[in-house]
Amino acid sequence: MTIPDFAFSEFFPVLPAAVLLLGGVVLMLSEVFLTSTNRGYQAVLAAFASAVAGAVAFHNAFEPARLVLQGFAVLDPFSQWTTVMVSLGTFLAVLLSAGFLKHRNAERGEFYALLLFAAAGMSLLALSAEFITLFINLEVMSIATYALTSFLRRGPRPAEAGFKYFILGAFAAALLLYGAALLYGATGATKLVDVGAGLSAAFAQQPALVYAGLGLVLVGFAFKVAAVPFHQWTPDVYEGAPTPVTALMSAGVKAAAFVALVRVFLLLGAGIDRSLLFTVFSVLALLSMVGGNLMALPQRNVKRMLAYSSIAHAGYMLLGVAALFAPKVAASEPGLFAATPLIAPGDVAPLVFKGLLFYILGYTVTSLGAFGTIAALERREDETRGNTSDLERFAGLAQRKPGWALAMAAFMLSLGGVPPTVGFLGKLFLFSAAVDAGLLGLAVVGILSSVAGVYFYLRVVVYMFMRPAPADAPQPFRHWTTELALVTSAVAVVLLGIVPGPVTEWFSRAGMIFGQ
Amino acid sequence: MNSIYDSRILNLVIFFPLLVAALVALLPRDEKGQIRAMTFAGMLISMVTTFLAWVGFDAKSTTEFQLTYRAEWLADIGASYHVGVDGLGLTLIVLTGILGPLVVLSSWSFVQERVKEFHIALLVLQTATYGAFAAIDVLLFFIFFEAVLVPMYLLVGVWGSEERQKAAVKFFLYTMVGSVLMLLALFALYFLAAPAGSRSFDYSTLYNGLMAANRELAVYLAANPTGDGVGLSPVAAALFRYGPWLFLAFALAFAIKVPMFPLHTWLPDAHVQAPVAGSMMLAGVMLKLGTYGFWRFAVPLFPVQAREYQTLFATLSVIGIVYGALMCLAQRDIKKLIAYSSVSHLGYCMLGIFAFTTEGATGSAYQMLNHGVSTGALFLLFGFLYERRHARLMSEYGGLAKVVPVYTTFFLVVTFSSIAVPGTNGFVGEFLVLLGTIKSNLPLGFGVLAATGVILGAAYMLWMVQKVFFGQLTHQENLSLKDLSGRELGAAIPFVVLILVMGLRPQPILDVINPASERFVARAKYAQGKGADDLEKVRVQVKALPPKNAVADARPSMAPPVAVPSRVDFQRPTRPTIMQPAPKPVAQ
Repeated sequence: MTIPDFAFSEFFPVLPAAVLLLGGVVLMLSEVFLTSTNRGYQAVLAAFASAVAGAVAFHNAFEPARLVLQGFAVLDPFSQWTTVMVSLGTFLAVLLSAGFLKHRNAERGEFYALLLFAAAGMSLLALSAEFITLFINLEVMSIATYALTSFLRRGPRPAEAGFKYFILGAFAAALLLYGAALLYGATGATKLVDVGAGLSAAFAQQPALVYAGLGLVLVGFAFKVAAVPFHQWTPDVYEGAPTPVTALMSAGVKAAAFVALVRVFLLLGAGIDRSLLFTVFSVLALLSMVGGNLMALPQRNVKRMLAYSSIAHAGYMLLGVAALFAPKVAASEPGLFAATPLIAPGDVAPLVFKGLLFYILGYTVTSLGAFGTIAALERREDETRGNTSDLERFAGLAQRKPGWALAMAAFMLSLGGVPPTVGFLGKLFLFSAAVDAGLLGLAVVGILSSVAGVYFYLRVVVYMFMRPAPADAPQPFRHWTTELALVTSAVAVVLLGIVPGPVTEWFSRAGMIFGQ
Repeated sequence: MNSIYDSRILNLVIFFPLLVAALVALLPRDEKGQIRAMTFAGMLISMVTTFLAWVGFDAKSTTEFQLTYRAEWLADIGASYHVGVDGLGLTLIVLTGILGPLVVLSSWSFVQERVKEFHIALLVLQTATYGAFAAIDVLLFFIFFEAVLVPMYLLVGVWGSEERQKAAVKFFLYTMVGSVLMLLALFALYFLAAPAGSRSFDYSTLYNGLMAANRELAVYLAANPTGDGVGLSPVAAALFRYGPWLFLAFALAFAIKVPMFPLHTWLPDAHVQAPVAGSMMLAGVMLKLGTYGFWRFAVPLFPVQAREYQTLFATLSVIGIVYGALMCLAQRDIKKLIAYSSVSHLGYCMLGIFAFTTEGATGSAYQMLNHGVSTGALFLLFGFLYERRHARLMSEYGGLAKVVPVYTTFFLVVTFSSIAVPGTNGFVGEFLVLLGTIKSNLPLGFGVLAATGVILGAAYMLWMVQKVFFGQLTHQENLSLKDLSGRELGAAIPFVVLILVMGLRPQPILDVINPASERFVARAKYAQGKGADDLEKVRVQVKALPPKNAVADARPSMAPPVAVPSRVDFQRPTRPTIMQPAPKPVAQ
């Protein structure tokens, strides 16, 4: 066995993950050797690690796209930008957790370590270009999040949520692995590039095997991104997990899984019929957009409502993915699952990647902010009664804490896609890419379902601004890190919505995804 | 014309209220007097800035959009910060500016809760409205158009009456549905109007890019009305196929905002529940966003489809006029009556637009201003009464003329304006609209039916005045009503002055509006035209972005002005009067 001779530049893409892992290890060790009970420094340390990782990834994002580490990983702007956003999400989640955990006397080093490990898994998942690597990274991310979900292990909900997440997640991961194994059997390769190259020959011989393999891989991913009909775990897990962790799950875990999904099917799609992938993603997008919004409508628990809303948002992103695989030949009649470009389409891929990245960025800051506000309003004594994040908790928040209410209103409007917030620009980019690709029917459905969404986002605003506060209204606990995180995300939501500045220009480079 | 000052004045107009809002936000929340005074002063200065814009505007110039300012914004999708005004936008901006301080005066003592937030919402609303009327970039317009919703939603939902939350949510969702569909249609236009690389949301790119295709489509449809679109160029073919849908998406968004007849149901609710200030801004300015949208975007961008649906929209407008008036006759709630009278009045504006004649368009624009003044004044005056008695039903009043004579006088003048008595502003607008409709290609019946609306209007308003102000004093509570105070007079007098000035000296305002309405009619008829004779008139003049890498605000006004070929046939008479014979209608 020979040890390959790697140049240092080959390790560029994994550096952010290495920083995150290092931070995690340091935090675990610090917990072992801790002599005092003051753990305030742990959050700062974890935030610092994620900031450094984000900076490294940002630096990497301007490298040209290429395969590295013998084809096991890629270095391309798309994955590195994802890492930047994962780091940003982790940074905000860490800040939110500090106050949240202190309030519950549950501040421990391993919590931050797990957060950082999960972030490292997300970063690595985004750049995996080989099935076994991909699976391992997926598990690094998943196992850390399983543990985080039931971190506050007292009380029935965290245990239930963690267990549910673990069982279903393990099942989905197994399906993904099984699919990969079938594809290996069909093509004799595990590197995505080789699998894609051998796929058309394998398809000619054994179509059933290829179909089964692709289908299983798809289901595995659909579970991770919580697309309807693989979404059932989402509301329970999101509700049961500690709120800052929920925030990271809705943003980071999803973003990483999305990037991996796009990468796998982009590289594999070379060998198979595009229209099949297009139909599958269109159906998933349609179900998630409509289903997510409809199921969120009756929710009175804000955390559950946001869980369903995150399903809808996954649907919008799937719409972008579907646009990526839109058939080159225009359909004769416009329809839900047909692509009828208005005029001869150009290459929509750069638009889609830019739209996806901007959407993920917008969703990350918005969702972190929204869950962060919920976290700040939670009270321990409500947890046994199960009405911790009821809509009533928000009643009259505008009178008591106008700043918090304004920030939450900005997050809600951004989720609903109302200008001038980042959510609007994200939708603008994604839907314009979809229209360019000719997905007129799906875009109309998406837009209409997002209007339905405005209704339940507005309901929170109604409660905050137009209902009197109940006598026992919770006073939000104050902690400088929480407030810093909320201010940061609120400013980002509004500022990015008005002047995205260089951000969109940076994301335009994400079109340089490997394999495109 | 080309000074730094001129290129910046619109930015000042748009963002000054926002600046004041930031200052108000810094005041302590219990300093209600200071908050009101500061907002009032800010609104006054903001009004003066709109007057400055009026002075800087050259009505005789051949440049369509003046006082323009353009800067990089979302460079990679081709959206820029581009503002400028033509005659219509300018007059609406001035109307908004005038209403601003009066709105603050109207709620001086009415709003006692959450005073600070109330005034911030008013100021933000002002900025968003100015922005929507000044935006030349369509995406920028959309953002301002949507941004108007948020403060308005809060005004209705927080400071309204009993059923306010329901009304606010209904209002928000109605307008949201329309505008997101419009957004989608806007994307489609964006892709159609220009090839990849030169795409932009700028009005000039969208309009100029579609001109050729629109004419091609019109010629094709004239030659073979039942054709299947084979043989058209790609863009024209796309317009042939999707054009009606795109037009309807735009039209739906604006028709909800106007509101046109079947989509008007949110308006009575919102008006009745809104506080005085909300009603005034809603009727005075916000509804004009809908008519403005038809005028600026829906009709010019889709001339062929606008022609196709002309009868439909004209019919809906006439139904709105008559139906609104009939509904007024059935009301017992005064605020609801005023709200339905809005539906009727806005019907005139829409009819004037869809007449596609210069008189009709000018009348429509004038009617937009009238409605802002007279309905704004009605809501203001009724607001004073409501503040004293907290009753909206006509049966609660009666014989008020004996108790509050000054108030009654003001109310009567405004009523006359609303029912278009000659000598008041309402007369000029309705007369022009009816004239334009009768001159247009629409059947005579449209003009006749619309004219019945004038009679019905007189009926319901006078009936209401009679029940409220004359006859016996039936309620003890009304005996002790106080007449208008100094502050209230201060708010009411400007309205009466406006009503009389606009009714007796309409010409200066018509001079500003006329070039815009001639352009509008030329654009609406462009596709049907034959040669290139009207090309220069309808083409939107392009304002280039400041050079790349230059500081965004590096004196863009010093760039050489865009050359406009001076054409003999384009020289307008210096003072086009309304009595001029109209140009011969283009042969159908």
